[in-house]
Amino acid sequence: MSSKGLMRSQLLAATVAFGLLSSVAHAQQQPCIGNSAAVTGPAAFSGQAIKMGAQIAIDEINEAGGVLGQKLRLVQYDDAGAPPRGVDNTRRIALADKCIAVLGGFHSTVAVAQVEPVHEIGIPYMGVWAANTKAVENGRDPNFMFRVSAKDKWVARFLVDEALKVSKDGKIAFFYENTGWGNGALPDIKAAMAARGKELVAAETFNWNDQDMSPQVIRARDAGAEVVMIWSLDREGNQVLRAMDKIGYKPAVIGAWGISGNLGELAGPLANGVRVMQTYSFLTPQSETGKKMLATLAAKYGLNDPSAIKAASGIADAYDAVYILADAIKIAGAFDWAKVQKALYEVNRDGLVAPYKPAFDKSDPERNDALLPENYLLAVWHDGKLIPFKGSPYDK
Amino acid sequence: MSTVAQYIFSGLAIGGIYALVALGFHIMWSAARAVNFAHGDTLMIGGLMAAYLVASGWSLVLACGLAILAGGAFGFVLERLAVRPFAGQANSIGWMLTTIAVGIMVESLATIETQGYALPLPSPGVAGSVQVFGAGLYPQELVIPVIAVIAMAGLRLLQRHTLIGRAMQAVAHNKNAAALMGIDVNLVIAFSFALASLTGAAAGVLIAPVVQASATMGVLPGLKGFAVAIMGGITSAPGVVLTGLAYGVIEKFVEGYISTAAREIVGFSLMIVVLLVFPQGLFGKREVAKV
Repeated sequence: MSSKGLMRSQLLAATVAFGLLSSVAHAQQQPCIGNSAAVTGPAAFSGQAIKMGAQIAIDEINEAGGVLGQKLRLVQYDDAGAPPRGVDNTRRIALADKCIAVLGGFHSTVAVAQVEPVHEIGIPYMGVWAANTKAVENGRDPNFMFRVSAKDKWVARFLVDEALKVSKDGKIAFFYENTGWGNGALPDIKAAMAARGKELVAAETFNWNDQDMSPQVIRARDAGAEVVMIWSLDREGNQVLRAMDKIGYKPAVIGAWGISGNLGELAGPLANGVRVMQTYSFLTPQSETGKKMLATLAAKYGLNDPSAIKAASGIADAYDAVYILADAIKIAGAFDWAKVQKALYEVNRDGLVAPYKPAFDKSDPERNDALLPENYLLAVWHDGKLIPFKGSPYDK
Repeated sequence: MSTVAQYIFSGLAIGGIYALVALGFHIMWSAARAVNFAHGDTLMIGGLMAAYLVASGWSLVLACGLAILAGGAFGFVLERLAVRPFAGQANSIGWMLTTIAVGIMVESLATIETQGYALPLPSPGVAGSVQVFGAGLYPQELVIPVIAVIAMAGLRLLQRHTLIGRAMQAVAHNKNAAALMGIDVNLVIAFSFALASLTGAAAGVLIAPVVQASATMGVLPGLKGFAVAIMGGITSAPGVVLTGLAYGVIEKFVEGYISTAAREIVGFSLMIVVLLVFPQGLFGKREVAKV
């Protein structure tokens, strides 16, 4: 078929499709998913991971015939971790591109800032990384913020439980970065400790790019902390470990997933035994979906060694998020924001990360999060690699 | 006691970096009455390049040497492209904007290259810690302030006893008179930018094993190095180095006894107070501008 003929037939198909759907009077949304994530800036790796996971899912869905007869597209915008740009991108995705949903990024500050425009416009938002509790538990009804990722409130409980396994007396210090993510986690950690009848012996903060953490580490040591819980990124996590090394302080270290990127490379042997919460690992026995994913990652992105895949959780969460959105669009039967928002509560699927049965629950305000604490996974750094804690040399 | 020693030594280490960066600002200002606001990024170029070269199998010494030279070349080229064309203007807006712009561009490029990850620079200086007066330190951290002081002394020798050093002072004093004496003013200014960038890149190579090399590693040291240069009196080399070391130590005590979050508030408030009381900086000489 000549290209002109092809175009004509596509136009015809589109006209028919519009005709079929024209019972919905108001503006139609397009078969695209818009992602606002940090593609540049210090967390650029996260944007890459999200893009990878989302694109793999979209390619698979399109190969299987698309959604409602249409091919899905990914529209990528960069927010560089800046909330104003995230807000701007949200508007652009919704109003200019008319995409059916917004896919979230890495930074919690951006996700929290997106709550307002998302509800003002009424477009479904699907978080795949940023874990701030209030981004999703925002008190809105109907709530357009959904998430296939960790939630700090639950991560806090998960990590406090792990920390209390190490320190029976609950001598736990908390180190957190001075950002929306770190500050947002402090009340969650305190609440999780209080629920177990304990109190933090020290709470210490630091800024991005800080070169030396010895004052904070000295205070934690002097407070008698046996466990240090860390809410930071790799670079600062490494500084905390080095400061501990310098003053000869050796507590158990347990962190949220900010230190799951390249801490092993940065801190070398100092990272050995540092535990990290994850939602996914490619190093556990893989499901059929996982095996297929690994094959695609090797074929399309040259990632042949599963242990060399950075940010596995980000890739896997984005992959599942796109499938859940596609399911919701099918259930809604239309590319329509409000209908898709309602349909998201009806999605049931076996995902890569977890079984989503159902993905979300309308009757429970805590359940606009698809991943539950029982889906979280404890990993541990060992000789530069992040391996599942279970069965590791540190699992005693 | 050991805590106080810890704060002093950790503070001297980071203060040594501020001092080296401030020394670079001093060198540029002395010769050109202009500075490179991308100076912090010179630090990053040095650190990142060394990390990349070591990762690709170069020996540490060669990698660091080449990285420092690359930093110097960056300063030289930047002066030619982004400072000199604007230096003749009556105001300073031109070179301020262009150097800031180049800095942002270089940082963005580095982010694309590193994808935002920090890279390790393995060095024997951070292989194990040593105890000094009960404080735990990496040998690398002890070396940094010493190098800052050596760099200052070396600069003094250069200015007093070499032709290029004297030419730099002549250009600083009066460009027109220096030109009439047969000094190639442009060459001297370009040299001073290259020299400043060499110290900046050296600071990057020195600090990278401790803080890791990353695209944003130069941002804060660049800003604080400039603040230190202004506070210390940008015309005085010993002034900026002493102020740099002191500023690092003060920061650690604020972190230790008040809080980490208060560090920048106290530090920059101090800077404003210093400038109110000593408009020329603590050790700076009043500059007479003849009209």
